[in-house]
Amino acid sequence: MTKILLLIDAPETTNQIYSILNDIEYEIIEINSKSNDSIDEIISQIENYDADIILADENYPNCDFILRQIRTNSKNQNIQILLLTNKNYDISFLDLSDGIIQTPIKDEVLIFNINSHHKIKQTFDRLYENNKELSRSLYQLNVLYNTSSQFTGTLNTKKLYEIMIEAMEKTLSFDISSALILNSEKKPVFNLNTLHPPSENLIDALKIRSVLNYKTIQDDNSSFYKTEFDDIEIVQKTKQMRSNKIFSIETINYDSLFAPIKVGDDFFGVVELFRQIPFSPEDVTCFQAITHQVALPLRSAKLYEEISITNKKLEKLEKLKSEFVSIVSHELRTPLTPINNSLEIVLEEQTGPITPEAKNFILMAKRNIQRLSGIIEDLLDLSRIQAGKLDFKYKTVDITSSLELLKNTFLQVANEKEIQINLEIKEKLPEIYADIRRIEQIFTNLVSNSLKFTAPKGYININVDIIESDTINYDNLISPVMIPNGKYIKVSVKDNGIGIKKEDIPKIFDKFSQIESSLNRNKGGVGLGLTITKQLIDSHLGLIEVQSKEQDGSEFIVYLPLCDKMKTFELDLSCALRSCDDVGVIRIVSNKDTNIINILKDNKLLNLTKLSKEAIFETQDNIDYYAFIPKITQSSFDSLFGAIFEYSQKIKQKECDIMLYKAHSMQYGSDLSKIIKILTQEGLK
Amino acid sequence: MKKILIVDDEKDIVETLSFMLKAKGFDCICAYDGEEGLNYAKNINPDLIILDVMMPKINGYKICRLLKFDNKYKNIPIIMITARSQEEDKLIGEETGADEYITKPFEFSDVLNKINKYLN
Repeated sequence: MTKILLLIDAPETTNQIYSILNDIEYEIIEINSKSNDSIDEIISQIENYDADIILADENYPNCDFILRQIRTNSKNQNIQILLLTNKNYDISFLDLSDGIIQTPIKDEVLIFNINSHHKIKQTFDRLYENNKELSRSLYQLNVLYNTSSQFTGTLNTKKLYEIMIEAMEKTLSFDISSALILNSEKKPVFNLNTLHPPSENLIDALKIRSVLNYKTIQDDNSSFYKTEFDDIEIVQKTKQMRSNKIFSIETINYDSLFAPIKVGDDFFGVVELFRQIPFSPEDVTCFQAITHQVALPLRSAKLYEEISITNKKLEKLEKLKSEFVSIVSHELRTPLTPINNSLEIVLEEQTGPITPEAKNFILMAKRNIQRLSGIIEDLLDLSRIQAGKLDFKYKTVDITSSLELLKNTFLQVANEKEIQINLEIKEKLPEIYADIRRIEQIFTNLVSNSLKFTAPKGYININVDIIESDTINYDNLISPVMIPNGKYIKVSVKDNGIGIKKEDIPKIFDKFSQIESSLNRNKGGVGLGLTITKQLIDSHLGLIEVQSKEQDGSEFIVYLPLCDKMKTFELDLSCALRSCDDVGVIRIVSNKDTNIINILKDNKLLNLTKLSKEAIFETQDNIDYYAFIPKITQSSFDSLFGAIFEYSQKIKQKECDIMLYKAHSMQYGSDLSKIIKILTQEGLK
Repeated sequence: MKKILIVDDEKDIVETLSFMLKAKGFDCICAYDGEEGLNYAKNINPDLIILDVMMPKINGYKICRLLKFDNKYKNIPIIMITARSQEEDKLIGEETGADEYITKPFEFSDVLNKINKYLN
């Protein structure tokens, strides 16, 4: 029914209006100025009545003021005001009213105006309602959006649950939420959040209800079944603790929403909300969205926890393993020493003469001690390589004498097997930057392999040459890498032994490959030699190539780069880095060109935020830059190194002097001088 | 006769080594832990010391450093016996100043070569 309010003092007009509107269903009310009410009272009466249309006579006392007051009150903004006037139409009327009706009133004009303004009012009301709903939905969406970003920010089960409840409180303003959630130890916890303090009965009732809901959904034999009802931990929060109102058992009859929290087969718990004001369909959607959203990060949290537990176990095992290898090999070496010594004493007849037969057996024992100590050596090297702790002592060396010595060492064994060993060095070899012990190890491994797999009357040819990088065939390399330009020493160890099947070639560099590949092998060794050889060659920035056909001999070709400044620096750096971790330091000296900083930033593998402005210190003379890179990894360091090297090649600027350091466990931003001391290596020029 | 001090907690190694060295005409003095070794080194004035790394009380690297940084003893050649274990890696840290290293298990001829390098 349309509500019409009359602010008219003239009785004849009032009567006329009554008689015109008589036939139609209107609720009409008059507020008479002649009563003793003050203006404020009149205004509050008007506001409380909540009329659709106000018919106001311009002659009504304080008419202007009253209408203005009503207009400014947002609650009454939609009320249609029609002004009764005997003046002609004037735009100024619209300040106060939505339309005018000229007096004396014509019947049809009044009806027409009332009808049309009634329709306008209805439309306005509908718009207003829709708007309200929209803004509420918008708010819910905003909360949901924020919540989802909060969800992704944590992997803590408890925190996730708190975020969920907070989101529900904001969007759904519930009176009670009761939830049964599995905590990180997979025990159910009963969480109760209420607006007012709940009664004991209500807590029990809600708990039973949650447990029943839980059991209905979770029908497998989970550990929860074994949990006693009383053992379930209760976490209770009340928003208005001091409130006089107490939620009694009847509160359970409020409108409620229920949902399980689950993703696929992963079930985390149940949640139920209670609210006095019934939930709208939008509320239901919102509720479901939140419960669905929380389940995903809960699953991630669960997986994360599982992974970190496994990880810790693995780390411990790995440490145990390398300690074990180290201790065992140490413990094995020590008793071998007096065994070897004792045999030697007897062999040299220092304790009295021995028969030739006894001598033969003692020699056999001695050979096997050597073999055993070789295996221990290999194992130890391998465990060091895996831990990245193999030590290198790089020097500028000539490998000629080492190769000659090597040939002579093997000569005796080769003669016994009637195998011929030839060494040919085509021209005088330039020096390389290397650890000579390791270089000897590389070729000892290769030659002893050839000896092992070559039949009597065979040959082993060691050819040494100097070549340019462009003659190296990229496709034949084992684990091919970019070949840096420059000259290489090429050492080829070629035999006419049993050879290797083509498909087996990549496998021979795997750990224990000999053991794995054939049980019926009759050759010594445990198959660690080539794995170590490959690693040693890598550490010298060298390359290895294998050419072989089954039954037609094998050729192992090693390329070692000639000594130049860049290689020297790179090797020293990698050697220094082996013993330290965590922090990287870049120092750029005497270069006004700040492009290098951008290059560093562009390097994808670095944590860019850490290399931002504040991480780069400028020293007094304004030309030294230091960049600290916390938590640098070997791979990010390598790629950074590459980027700097490329850059320095490109600019070819004399003033550019870049140094890279990886400092040992240095804290971010600590004393510069300390860090510089760690590595006093000349930079690139 | 040249005096050689052998310091190792492994009695068997000390016994066999000293037997062989005596046979080659050296005078051998044996110590079975670091402390004893350091005492002998300072008091009997050996011509050469053979020193194990992992020993109770004072480890070999420490003894080596103590002697090599003391003007009175720095000219005594020191040959270290190492098992190249990770524990030893941790100890080495700084330069010890040892003249030679031999790795367990060693060949006697190898030891003899190294000794002769310093005592002839």
